[in-house]
Amino acid sequence: MNRRTLKTNSSKSYFRNNWVLYLMSIPGLIYLIVYKFFPYYGLTLAFKDFDMFAGRNLLDSLTKSPFAGIKYFKELFLGSEFWLLLKNTLIISFYKLVFLFPLPIVIALLINEIKTISFKKCVQTIIYLPHFLSWVVISGVFFTLLSSSGVVNTLLESLGLDKINFLSNPENFRFLLVFTEGWKETGWSCVVYLSALTAIDPALYEAAEIDGANRLKRMLHISLPGLLSVIMMMLMMKIGNILQAGTDQILVMYNPAVYSVSDVLQTYIYRIGLGQMNFSLATAMGLFESVVGFILIICANSFSRKYFERSLW
Amino acid sequence: MKIKYNIVPCFIYIFMALLALICLLPIIHLVAKSFSGYNAVVSGSVAFLPKDFQLEVYDYVLHNGLFWNALKNSLFITIVGSFLSVTITVLAAYPLSRKDFKGRKFILLMYVFSMLFYGGTVPAYIVMQSLHLLNTVWAVIIPFLVVQFNLFVMKTGFEGVPEALEESARIDGAGTFTVFSRISLPLVTPTIATITLFYAVNYWNNYYHAMLFITKQSAKPLQLYLYELINSASMLSSENAFEATMNLPTSGMQAAAIVLGMLPVVFFYLIAQKYLITGMTIGSVKG
Repeated sequence: MNRRTLKTNSSKSYFRNNWVLYLMSIPGLIYLIVYKFFPYYGLTLAFKDFDMFAGRNLLDSLTKSPFAGIKYFKELFLGSEFWLLLKNTLIISFYKLVFLFPLPIVIALLINEIKTISFKKCVQTIIYLPHFLSWVVISGVFFTLLSSSGVVNTLLESLGLDKINFLSNPENFRFLLVFTEGWKETGWSCVVYLSALTAIDPALYEAAEIDGANRLKRMLHISLPGLLSVIMMMLMMKIGNILQAGTDQILVMYNPAVYSVSDVLQTYIYRIGLGQMNFSLATAMGLFESVVGFILIICANSFSRKYFERSLW
Repeated sequence: MKIKYNIVPCFIYIFMALLALICLLPIIHLVAKSFSGYNAVVSGSVAFLPKDFQLEVYDYVLHNGLFWNALKNSLFITIVGSFLSVTITVLAAYPLSRKDFKGRKFILLMYVFSMLFYGGTVPAYIVMQSLHLLNTVWAVIIPFLVVQFNLFVMKTGFEGVPEALEESARIDGAGTFTVFSRISLPLVTPTIATITLFYAVNYWNNYYHAMLFITKQSAKPLQLYLYELINSASMLSSENAFEATMNLPTSGMQAAAIVLGMLPVVFFYLIAQKYLITGMTIGSVKG
């Protein structure tokens, strides 16, 4: 009993002394609840027949809409559309992973070998820049470059070659997606690896140099192993996000001619959800993506934590 | 022996220079096109230097009411949004950086969970509609008010402040808020600069939420305006290239609008990038 009063007393005095900390947390928490947690209630839409005009506003309508059970999930999984979207999502993510994942590692290793500080700084500044441009701007840049009257096609023509339809030919479009993603993010992805490289003990390099290891050997036997855990962590993160094939990017770059190869889960959700106002089906698909994505990232993180002693958060 | 030793670095320098060129040339091409004359643009002969230099398209774009309106919206979203975001993030990150803060684990868990489990596009739309925020600039500000990643970068920044400093101030009689504002805050300026850059760039570049929540012309931000400008022209048509270019006096105008649209980001990036590297290093190592 005595002990108990002591405890409440101490937590009372804790609050008295630290109420400011709680006050500081409030704006963030309000935001979290209103914009992040409240939509979780909206996910019930996936199990309801949404009637837009049932209530005063959409939220009220949502509450008043009748339950539909798993009708929309049946519609989703039995239809052919969903499987095509899933296939596109996985293929685009897979291409991006295979072609783009190793690049920043190699580039970071090379940047690390540059000894001229000013050149190094300059290169870094330039290759980080595309990361800060929006997909709208980047699509503008590459459409200008690659359109049928763009400089690339003019060049091909003057060389006597056929023009290439980069922007609306299904055969080339995924290539365009991978290339522009690489152009935007490769440089910036180096930052993580470069900061991990600076953490490697310089004494290791000196010892190896004395033992006669050349630059390449030092890179392969000191730098690369030093990066291994970060590499694995980044890989896990990519795998955890595999269902997001780059919605922002695809939404600005695609067009009906290439829907067949570039329509992914989120772009479809956007079109049927907000375009055709088919809220329930779009929410069902979104819920599927959120759940699978959540499971993937949790698995990836526990894997990374267990084997590489690194956690994503 | 000496020559052999120099081949490798030489290769690295050339490779990196090429890489930098790949990043820059598409942008330079666009800039060159925006300053080039009609015939040069249409014939596709502009490479990296302007041909038949002119400024009329910039003149045209800058006298376009829609462009100015979109620019005004984007400036408002970026400035007000970044200010609110940075304020809320800094306030939220400080308690989370204090190991003795009761409830810290729980609040952190809420932020992490909200980052990993996405509520979905349609539910977000419903919330916005019910709050009567559709077709207002706030619909584009609210989704990024707190970006969890930035919160964690900020929290790591605060954790880097030596505890002894705060302790000694407390012994001198300073209250919690005084310790925060007088001791901790000045020491995390580089991290604040970093997240300000992240937030500002995010707000400036965001077109996705504008696409979701804004259909009214007067509330559209610049990126949405640019998107519609790029996609309204028949740049994609491939069958009849010549005809497509003929009804495209817009090509140069698009280029000019895009250049104007990215100019502030590039400018801001160049100013803030020296802070960026330190801030990012902290965030990514301990992440």
